[in-house]
Amino acid sequence: MKPQRDMVKRVLKIVFLLAIALIVSARAETAGAKIYIDIHSPSARKLPIAIAPFKNLGTTPDKENISSQLNNVLTQDLEISGLFQIIDPKSYIENPQTAGITSDKINWSDWSTIGAEALVKGGFSLDGKVLMLEGRLFDVVQGKFIAGKRYYGKVDDFPLMVHKLVNEIIYQLTGEQSIFETRIAFVSTITGTKEIYLMDVDGENRQRITAHRSICLSPAWSPDGKKLVFTSYKKGNPDLYLKDIIYGSEKVISQEKGLNISPVFSPDGKRIALTLSVEDGNSELFLIDLEGHKLDRLTTDWGADVSPTFSPDGKRIAFVSDRSGSPQIYVLDVENKNVKRLTFEGNYNATPEWSPRGDKIAFSRMAGNKFDIYIMDADGNNVQRLTTQGSNEDPSWSPNGRYIAFSSNREGGKKVYIMLANGSNQRRVTSGKGDDTSPVWSPTTGEK
Amino acid sequence: MRKSWIRLVVVLAALAFAAACICQPQVVKPPEEVAKVAPPAEKKVQEEVVVAKKPAEVKEAEVMEAPMKEVPSPLEDIFFAFDDYSLTDAAKSTLDKNAALMKNNPDAKVRIEGNCDERGTNEYNMALGERRANSGKKYLIKLGIKESQLSTVSYGEEKPFCTENSEECWAKNRRDHFVIAK
Repeated sequence: MKPQRDMVKRVLKIVFLLAIALIVSARAETAGAKIYIDIHSPSARKLPIAIAPFKNLGTTPDKENISSQLNNVLTQDLEISGLFQIIDPKSYIENPQTAGITSDKINWSDWSTIGAEALVKGGFSLDGKVLMLEGRLFDVVQGKFIAGKRYYGKVDDFPLMVHKLVNEIIYQLTGEQSIFETRIAFVSTITGTKEIYLMDVDGENRQRITAHRSICLSPAWSPDGKKLVFTSYKKGNPDLYLKDIIYGSEKVISQEKGLNISPVFSPDGKRIALTLSVEDGNSELFLIDLEGHKLDRLTTDWGADVSPTFSPDGKRIAFVSDRSGSPQIYVLDVENKNVKRLTFEGNYNATPEWSPRGDKIAFSRMAGNKFDIYIMDADGNNVQRLTTQGSNEDPSWSPNGRYIAFSSNREGGKKVYIMLANGSNQRRVTSGKGDDTSPVWSPTTGEK
Repeated sequence: MRKSWIRLVVVLAALAFAAACICQPQVVKPPEEVAKVAPPAEKKVQEEVVVAKKPAEVKEAEVMEAPMKEVPSPLEDIFFAFDDYSLTDAAKSTLDKNAALMKNNPDAKVRIEGNCDERGTNEYNMALGERRANSGKKYLIKLGIKESQLSTVSYGEEKPFCTENSEECWAKNRRDHFVIAK
């Protein structure tokens, strides 16, 4: 009797374990994240999201009201993204004092009743100058935890910690890297002369990085995000400068007679395409290395050629030329120099910028003495107008190709704006004195 | 005997349950969420130490090159049509006058500054200003002025004479300006 029972026991155990293994593996195999926000849909619906106040999880009292500062930066970032409809905090039902930040302590109907489909909760603690920030993202509809991150850093760096959290939230909901760790370089006349500045995409953390007291123009980022190249009249001529952003060192790399303007780095970071002057005052495109040595001449026509922008594969350059009589956008093959015209509508098309995704080119068109931002396919088809109010110039793509920064005077005085690449959610980023122009979006998207 | 029957029923039930789960389409959680007790899994949030990389502070006490002093100049501006760098008759007669003054002062170096009105893009306007400056220079050389006496620079739309948003002001900005360089 006994050995029989043992046998049965063993078999049953194995079968039972197999059954459990089957359940586990079946669920794991069909694992694919739920699509919360479909970025590829042309008329993406905004996801209703609620942001609960951050709880002080530590013992140090929150004298500086870090809790609401964290919330402000987080809310603003989500607004800027254009992907969310933020539920009005005044309608929140949950009692923040007693509620917890883990799903076992969340009453989902408190959130679903007010229309939220996603929920951000978090906490922080202070320890002298160190801040711990924790953020958790929940799916209200399914009543479950999606992901969470905890950050440690200096209290003063809290905006960067929130930006990282927002990037994580958007990554979890869209599957794509967002913009909140990127920076925008731009030209501003706040000091009275044109200098170059950096800022975060919410307009904060503005830092002046030149002190030429002259005219600084056309900044462009190196692909590693560590250097900027720009034109300055500091020595009396429009010369080309290369600046290391972290160390601050600067040197002139091209000071040819005439123009050294509209620079852009090649995608491999080893060359710069720019406009130089040739005999008789004409402007042509050249390739130089980072020491300023001429590597190649790209254009040889009687027209003025300016404003180059590389395709992401580095094989083609779109640029502006008036060889047909008025400024239009052309594309040249970097290797064989063949040129093809892209724009045929309107009589002033300029400032082309190739999307990092390779599929679109943004540009500005002047009509009736004002500019507007347009996009078109890389072959010139499907031209779409994105702006109408005021005069809008200098488009620049975010590294994920989903947003465009530009300069607009629609509220009086030129300021930097950003919008989604389909023209929606146009928001002013800079404010205050001075004209802000030539925004250029940094190339790096942050670590992932 | 009864015990093993109960066991068998339990196992069969488990198998049936497993079969049901595999057959139904699921919205499935990411792998780490498979552990059925939710709160302990939530404690495993990823940690990251954040260090902000700040650009270097701008050094204020930089040594500047003294800008070339602009001496009030008897040389007159010449003006251009919109998006044009060719010399009008009026421009040519002004240049004739300027040339005469320059011939009388062969040691004076003259910088020809090409400018544009504010319409158009900064970059294209730099190129246009360069062409305007060179137009003026070429004509002066044809009149016999030595090339070594002349230099050119384009300011595009960066150094306007006036800033009003009007045809009148724009016309004044489309110019070559002549500066005696020291």
